[in-house]
Amino acid sequence: MPNYQCAPMSDIAIQAVDISKDFGHIRALQSASVTVHKGEIVALVGDNGAGKSTLMKIMSGAELPDRGEIGVDGQPTRLLSVRDAHALGIETVYQDLALAPHLTVAQNVFLGHEVVLPKIGGKLGLLAKQEMARDAADALQALGIGIGDAKVRVSELSGGQRQAVAIARAMKWARSVLLMDEPTAALGVRQTAIVLQTMRTAAKRGLGVLVVSHDMPHMLNVANRIVVMRHGRVVANFAADETDIQTIAAAMLGSTTSGDL
Amino acid sequence: MPALWIALVDIALILVFGIVSPGHVFFNGGNFTNMAEDSAEVTLMAVGVAFLLGAGELDISIGANIILSSVVGGKVMVALSGSPSQVAQSVFPHLAMGVTVGILVALGTGLAFGLVNAFVVTVLRVNSFITTLGTLGIGTGLAFVLADGNNIQDIPTPLQSSFGVRTLAGTPVTFLVTFVLVLLMWGLLGLTRFGLHTVAIGSSRQSAERAGIAIRRHLVVLFAMVGVLAGIAGVYDIARFSTTNISGHQTDALAAIAGAVIGGTNLFGGRVSIPGAVFGSFLAEILNTGLVILGMSSFYQLIAVGVVLIVAVYIRGGVDVRTIRR
Repeated sequence: MPNYQCAPMSDIAIQAVDISKDFGHIRALQSASVTVHKGEIVALVGDNGAGKSTLMKIMSGAELPDRGEIGVDGQPTRLLSVRDAHALGIETVYQDLALAPHLTVAQNVFLGHEVVLPKIGGKLGLLAKQEMARDAADALQALGIGIGDAKVRVSELSGGQRQAVAIARAMKWARSVLLMDEPTAALGVRQTAIVLQTMRTAAKRGLGVLVVSHDMPHMLNVANRIVVMRHGRVVANFAADETDIQTIAAAMLGSTTSGDL
Repeated sequence: MPALWIALVDIALILVFGIVSPGHVFFNGGNFTNMAEDSAEVTLMAVGVAFLLGAGELDISIGANIILSSVVGGKVMVALSGSPSQVAQSVFPHLAMGVTVGILVALGTGLAFGLVNAFVVTVLRVNSFITTLGTLGIGTGLAFVLADGNNIQDIPTPLQSSFGVRTLAGTPVTFLVTFVLVLLMWGLLGLTRFGLHTVAIGSSRQSAERAGIAIRRHLVVLFAMVGVLAGIAGVYDIARFSTTNISGHQTDALAAIAGAVIGGTNLFGGRVSIPGAVFGSFLAEILNTGLVILGMSSFYQLIAVGVVLIVAVYIRGGVDVRTIRR
């Protein structure tokens, strides 16, 4: 029986309940459940193949579960597509960033959320390019990353800068939930610090933040809770300040004593 | 900017042919009018194909679409303009109605052809190259069946005199129509959300999907648009020659793609240059006309365009950003 809070003002940002997903013969997820409260940062960890990315993709609308339900703001929802997710205020930073290389920074930040000119311009779909360029530059600035010109093509940016664009985009449009898949992978120290600070900012804004990450030390630092997955199931749920790397690793690998590692 | 380079090449060729041609006849106003007349169709299709390439899709069936649209439209025009005995004597009692409906039917045929392509690509999920390779054959065969292997006769000649070969200040009316349509498509591509989504889909389909863009619906509109343009080209055909050209148009699709790519449009999507497609389409026309005036076989034009195509893409460098990694 799904544990939905029925009050209209719920403190739950997003909730995945009993999610199962098969890819052919591979059972990627088996009755996985995770809850993210508003203002909370939850780290989703696990070994390769544990199902973390799949669960996140389902919560972002990019994949459909075979069984199970998603709830947002304490209400069960029909999350059948990325557009549904966006309408619910769920934004995602994917592991491959999902940026269009030929498009500019501003175009990528506003892709799917374009601003059009007023009145008849809007009917024709005429883009308010200057406004979007300014806005995008501001959004990146707010993250502490200067790209300079928002009209630069994304393909001409460094890996870290592209990361920043993807994060700025998600931060700009997220209203309820921020999902991030390996956001600090391949980033330097300063950039990682910026990403972690972004998570804290999002949480302070009242968003529920769910992060898939291999970066245990940083996750213990920034997250409120650590949820561990193994073989498609959720096997542990720790408060971040009540656990340590060895305990988490043990849960990830299935040993009960750290001596088995 | 590739478009600028091709424009310069075009101008250089015009100058060279003008100087070298006997009595400088290449510079004659009549020559330019003739080249514009030819270009009306080629340029229109090059721009349409460039737009479609922006989304990473191909359409090599446009030649068949042009033929089929001209055959169906032409037959309707002949049938509605008067009785068979009347039209055989160039008497057209219902001229206005016959021609108007015929034009609409030609456009409708082009649209329907485009929608068939769209259906196979987006619903049956067949690759667009294969799809349009198939419809190229189907469309051509269908046109031949409908026309019984012969070009349509007795198409009302007023269509030719008042539109097909008519000029305004030395510029063919068909070219002007193409010009207006090209401007509209240029605006659509560069100024609107629809244009942006088109290149987003071509640049990274997955990114466009993740951004919530309805990709299949967008592609349907694009294929339909190219189909309607082919229908217009079909109207140009019957308006210009007062008959169809069912054994022609064999290399129209390749010429359109070449024109688009020479002008800077990326074959795999994500980058479109409409001005480039325009100047790129002019290139073959200038070469062909110039060589003919010089008394050289127009086969050399084929060689020249082929060389230019390869050189143009080579110069632009192999940097085709298909995927970005961190």
